[in-house]
Amino acid sequence: MSEALTKLQALIIAIIVIAAIGGGVAWYYMQQPKGVKIIWASTQLVPAQEQAFVKDTLLKEFTEETGIEVEFVPISYEDLATRLQSEEEAGKVTISVIGELHGGIDYFASQGWLEDLSKFGTLPDRTFPQVLEDYSRLHGIKAYIPWMTATYVMVVNKKAFDYLPEGLTEDDVIHGTSKWTYDALLAWAKKLYEETGGPKLGFPAGPNGLFVRFLHGYLYPAFTGAQVKNFNSDDAVALWEYLKNLWQYVHPSSTTWDAMADPLLKEEVWIAWDHTARIKDAIVQKPDQFVVVPVPAGPKGRGFILVIAGLAIPKGAPDQDAAWKLIEYLTRPETQVKVLENVGFFPTVKEASAKITSGPLKVLADGVNNQLNTPDALVALIPSLGAKGGDFKNVYITAFQRIVLNNEDIKTVLDELAPQLLSLFEETGAPLPPPDSMSG
Amino acid sequence: MTKLLNKPSLFEKYTPYLLILPALTYLLFFIGIPIAQAIYLAFTEKGAFSTENLDYLLNSPFSMFKEALKYTFLLAITIIPIQVAIALGLAMLFNIKFPGRNAALYLVILPLTISDVAAGLIWYSMLSSYGFLNKLLINMGLISQPIYFFGYQYRNMEFLAIVLTEVWRATAIVFVILFAGLQMISQEHIEAAEVFGANVWQRLRYIVFPMLLPSLQAALIIRTLFALQIFGVVWILAGRDIPVLAGEAYYEQVFLKHTGVAAIYALIIAGISVAVGALYIKLFKAKYLEAGT
Repeated sequence: MSEALTKLQALIIAIIVIAAIGGGVAWYYMQQPKGVKIIWASTQLVPAQEQAFVKDTLLKEFTEETGIEVEFVPISYEDLATRLQSEEEAGKVTISVIGELHGGIDYFASQGWLEDLSKFGTLPDRTFPQVLEDYSRLHGIKAYIPWMTATYVMVVNKKAFDYLPEGLTEDDVIHGTSKWTYDALLAWAKKLYEETGGPKLGFPAGPNGLFVRFLHGYLYPAFTGAQVKNFNSDDAVALWEYLKNLWQYVHPSSTTWDAMADPLLKEEVWIAWDHTARIKDAIVQKPDQFVVVPVPAGPKGRGFILVIAGLAIPKGAPDQDAAWKLIEYLTRPETQVKVLENVGFFPTVKEASAKITSGPLKVLADGVNNQLNTPDALVALIPSLGAKGGDFKNVYITAFQRIVLNNEDIKTVLDELAPQLLSLFEETGAPLPPPDSMSG
Repeated sequence: MTKLLNKPSLFEKYTPYLLILPALTYLLFFIGIPIAQAIYLAFTEKGAFSTENLDYLLNSPFSMFKEALKYTFLLAITIIPIQVAIALGLAMLFNIKFPGRNAALYLVILPLTISDVAAGLIWYSMLSSYGFLNKLLINMGLISQPIYFFGYQYRNMEFLAIVLTEVWRATAIVFVILFAGLQMISQEHIEAAEVFGANVWQRLRYIVFPMLLPSLQAALIIRTLFALQIFGVVWILAGRDIPVLAGEAYYEQVFLKHTGVAAIYALIIAGISVAVGALYIKLFKAKYLEAGT
């Protein structure tokens, strides 16, 4: 009997000891200063390598400095929109910072899902270019802080310079002189095709490729002076005639390519056009092999797109002061140079450009700078159509498929599609994007 | 008390319904409700009945519905017979015991473990203009310029690449079902037939084939349903050069945010699947009953 009691006593003692240890541990943790933890949902820097950079470098330094922990949530635009919508509708917001492209943020702002950032005041020691300042004001609020920019450029394998057409020099191409035109590109592509025995020009015209940006943001401004409003003009007909002509010398696999780094590295093509982030791999692996050059100019100028990614705070987000600190950190010139060095997105603050170093990055930055500084530059912005952004792209893609690939009559196709394009702007009330809105 | 006595008979009367209730509930929740929601998405616009989505599907210059329908069926009627023929041949082969049969079996089934997207990527890199196949042929001196498999201008080659990939990837599932069916056929029937002097062809025609029909039916239904949903492989290898129904549903929803149009595509795929399933069951049923006796 006594033995049984001892067993019971032992059991009770054991339970007390375990409970005490557990309680002590719990108490100890509760006494620890509870750091703020915020969620940063981003549609940018999603590829695994870029995520690793964000988590292991960017955010680690931020947490060391401020004690604020950040959970970086890479997310697609579609998922972000769905999640934000449900969180805002339920009134239970968990995301503190959003990293998204201008167009997506524009849609969120139009739905009233974002805080007006002007309440946080201005950020010290940094200057945003005026165009970025203007564009980040949407639907009556300061919707986002410009975070990163990107553009699309041409990459040339140096081998291709051996086949330059008559009257065009390497220097013309690299600095984007008035001789570096779409006609010169056609002559070059033709010569390459004939003398190397195969097409050496490529575009990312696959289903997830960005070729559509080349159509509306490069060719259209260059040939018609506008992205939208001259969609079915005579200039546009000339544009499509040109593209049909050029397409004979374009690598046929283009319609399945989503990014040009691989085809460039495999030397399937020697000249390619793509987003800076999607050709960066090629430059980094073989910086001596490739040159980044401005895009050619058309009769109306050298049209090109500037992409803007911004940082925004959802309405009713938790820990907004911590969120603002993260935004401040991410827009510091030093941080921005780090971002450029690691993931190839370009800074949004003027102070950063002085800090760019050498190497492959310089190749890229030089190309972008040369493009920005061409005298005939015609900057196009992606229109802010929100959910209709897909329809907008679809108009140009459909025109391309029918005219260039299916060989349908240019004017008929354009006249059929033009009302559909314009109705997108009427339905959403969105303004025509520059350069349309500037040329009056 | 009399009520209580009546209860068992009442209970008995409803027992069959009670027994299928769990299955019915499952179907209602996971198939019935989504279909109802899809119909709602497809045919309403801002809460009111509308045929706008249907109109877009059939008449919009942006809609690739007709092409998608054409290619989905073309792919199905190309791929399925090839797969059934190969699978049947393999199943017959594996039904004979030979050394290393088990190892060979695993090898044949291996592609089944690979996702369709991964299979698409593998074949894309093999067939691309500077991929494995072209390098091999160029190095062997058989060709001087690469054979292009990809690109809108080479849609027939893209079609071929899709057929190759699908046959490589999904023949195994047909094979597994047919092989299982073959193994279930009792050796006694065949021995009896042999005793009565039936030759190989007769044994196949009058014993093996009729008894294999239920398995063939199952394999065909599963394969056809998968074929109607074909998407990943096509998307990787041909993008929208070769549009298919499931791919267009994805494109309309994800790229264009036309949820209603995507819902119609889903309904069309579901409708065709049900029709094809019903057709198979009807075609095979009579023979199945005979074979069962």
